[in-house]
Amino acid sequence: MSNLFHSNFTIFHYYRTWGDCLKRWITFIIIFCFWILQGCEDERFQSINQHQSFVASLNIIDPSLDFFDSKGERIATWKFDKSYTGATLIPYDRLVLYGHQLNEIDIYELSTGKLIQSIETGIGTTNAYYDQEEHLLFITNSKHNTVTSFNEHGKKQGELRLTDYPMSMDSHQGKLYIINYKAPVLSVVDIKSMTLVDEWSIDKSSSGLMIVEETNTLWIGGHGAGSRPNQVVKVHDLKTGQFIQEIQVSHMPVGFTRNEDIIYITNHGSNELFACDVKGNVLWRKEVGANPFAVASFKDQIIVAGFDDNQIYFIQNGEIQKSVSTEHGPFQLLVREV
Amino acid sequence: MRKLSTKIWVLIIAYLMVTIVFMYLFADFLYEQFYVEDTKSEMMEIGENIQSMYTGGKVTDEYVEMVEAFNMHSNYHIFAVRNPRELSACVPFEIDYNTLIGPNERRILLNGETVTKIGYEERFKREVVSVILPLTDQKRLEGIIYIYYPLAKITELAKNEVAILMVGGLLFTLVIAIFVYKSLQRIMRPLNELQRAVEQMSEGDYSARVKVTSKDEVGMLSEAFNHMAEAIQREDEKQKSFLATVSHELRTPISYIKGYSEAIQQQLLVGKERDEAMELIHREANRMERMTNELLQLVRKDSEEIELFPIVLSETIRESIKLLEGQAHEKNIIIATNLDDNIIVQGDEEKLKRIFINVIENAIRYSNENGKVAINCYQSNHHAIIEFQDEGIGIPAEDLPHVTERFYRVNKARSRFDGGAGLGLSIVEQLVKLHDGKLHIDSVLGKGTLVKISLPIMEED
Repeated sequence: MSNLFHSNFTIFHYYRTWGDCLKRWITFIIIFCFWILQGCEDERFQSINQHQSFVASLNIIDPSLDFFDSKGERIATWKFDKSYTGATLIPYDRLVLYGHQLNEIDIYELSTGKLIQSIETGIGTTNAYYDQEEHLLFITNSKHNTVTSFNEHGKKQGELRLTDYPMSMDSHQGKLYIINYKAPVLSVVDIKSMTLVDEWSIDKSSSGLMIVEETNTLWIGGHGAGSRPNQVVKVHDLKTGQFIQEIQVSHMPVGFTRNEDIIYITNHGSNELFACDVKGNVLWRKEVGANPFAVASFKDQIIVAGFDDNQIYFIQNGEIQKSVSTEHGPFQLLVREV
Repeated sequence: MRKLSTKIWVLIIAYLMVTIVFMYLFADFLYEQFYVEDTKSEMMEIGENIQSMYTGGKVTDEYVEMVEAFNMHSNYHIFAVRNPRELSACVPFEIDYNTLIGPNERRILLNGETVTKIGYEERFKREVVSVILPLTDQKRLEGIIYIYYPLAKITELAKNEVAILMVGGLLFTLVIAIFVYKSLQRIMRPLNELQRAVEQMSEGDYSARVKVTSKDEVGMLSEAFNHMAEAIQREDEKQKSFLATVSHELRTPISYIKGYSEAIQQQLLVGKERDEAMELIHREANRMERMTNELLQLVRKDSEEIELFPIVLSETIRESIKLLEGQAHEKNIIIATNLDDNIIVQGDEEKLKRIFINVIENAIRYSNENGKVAINCYQSNHHAIIEFQDEGIGIPAEDLPHVTERFYRVNKARSRFDGGAGLGLSIVEQLVKLHDGKLHIDSVLGKGTLVKISLPIMEED
């Protein structure tokens, strides 16, 4: 502060007349205002129409978000300064962005492209999951090994300590299922009370899960522990957690999505997409993308993101219809259908 | 104190050793570089060969087996990897496992480029040089070919080569050491000889000389030494002959005095004879006195400095003539003068007088009776020229250069009665030199002698 006063003082003396000094100050204030406005402008991304359906790829090598419509036409690209590693959509036109090395999660409004809220979580955020029934946002943290719930206004509701590196989440009928990535444990949490209901024994390095209501089962993917790549999807009973069956896939099934009666599983180690019925019978398999981590269903299409080739693929009836380029490292897919 | 040659020798050998050690280290480094580069490029070639056999799609078991078969026959460790876990395929997810290639390498390989590495590999628990080639199909990293070679083997290989180099270097040093030693001996020989000669001289042997064999600095030094030795020897001989002359000159009057005084003591001489003897003793004593005075003067002149005053030259000459008029008169010799009265020189009056007296005395002494001595004094080219021309017996040409030497006598057989001790002209020459002047003597035998003295004139400034 003293420096600032000092410089003002010298300016005042340098411009001998009062008029000169005043002009100088006005110019300075105008430039300062422009600068502030410019700063605000930077925080604002291209807006996404509220009635626009889209599939968006979150790219983590060049942190960015690419929005495409169902025809694969690019709608917008948001380029971030922060190294976000994941995202999820929450109601009322909002997008949650988090990063494993970031201290907070950021919430953007899609229709304005504006950052509307930042919630401090501390570093180590591994996943964000929104439960439609209870209208709660769950954030898992690998630093404290916790899951934390937030209401729609971003207010913290509860927190629960889990085993080791909680990451993949899915919910069903008031229960939240969380895979502990570095422990052979799946935690079952009661959403309302935020208490641990059960712990199931699963494989280490499990990643990706899907609840299949028809068969009352929970499907678990994974990378495999150590040097051995995992080649199966394990099916557990949703109520008891009992292991029921193995679905033989290729290498490292980690991404799940569902379109009507077909469950799609992406194998990032073998670059293959598997299509199964609800009973776990493989209907077809197809090589698609390079190192595809994410799969999503968008209208009547299945979208696969190739992490290594920076492409997302539009698949219909088991055939690749189209592929479009993204920024570097598409890692997650977000779908909004309106 | 060690000898200079030893110092030079040690210095050269030390430099040589330093050079060889440096070369060793440098060669070691280069060898390694060379071998590593060589190994790398060979591995790359093999890798590219194997890579070219991959036709796309999944890496098949046959392909892996083929690479394994290749490995059996190769110097290098070669294997194909298709396990995506090993290829860091899971990288956005945290991996609790040390993969074969890192995420950065994966990116390079994905671009179809080859990765080469040198350094410690955790997987092989040792330092290796490795080449990794991608097996890519439509931007998919389906697998890699990993070729490596332990660095230790390379350095071992290099070590062998370098050991040979080292032994060679040592042998070379030995040869060079002997060679340098011999050369130094050769170079230092004249210096050693010089040293011996100097010692010889300091012991009083002035005949010591060194052989000049070269034209270099040492040769020039030897030559200068020889000149010096010659000069010293000459001076020494002069000194000896001077002493001999002095003692000889003194011995004659002493023996006279001794002989006559003994004769008088024993009363062998009486009356007129005794008086004559006494006269002779007195005369000889005078002569000795004069000679010792002159000698003293000569010795003094060597180191004396003179005080200079402006002097009217003609006046001094006249005064000198006046002192010798008696002698001239005895021989009926006319002294004719033609003197420029305007000449003033810087000088010591007494010493100038001594010069003129000595010269005129000589002129009178060696002139025949009724002769004539002409004295001219004139100015020429900022110098005062004083000429003394007599019509006397003259000096033979061969003696002319030596007349100013001490005790030199033109007529060796001449008795001491016809002249002085032979120091007069020596003194003249010395005094003229003290006045920055020049002495020149010209003579025609039987016709006369011309003594010409030139002295610098005092300039009015």
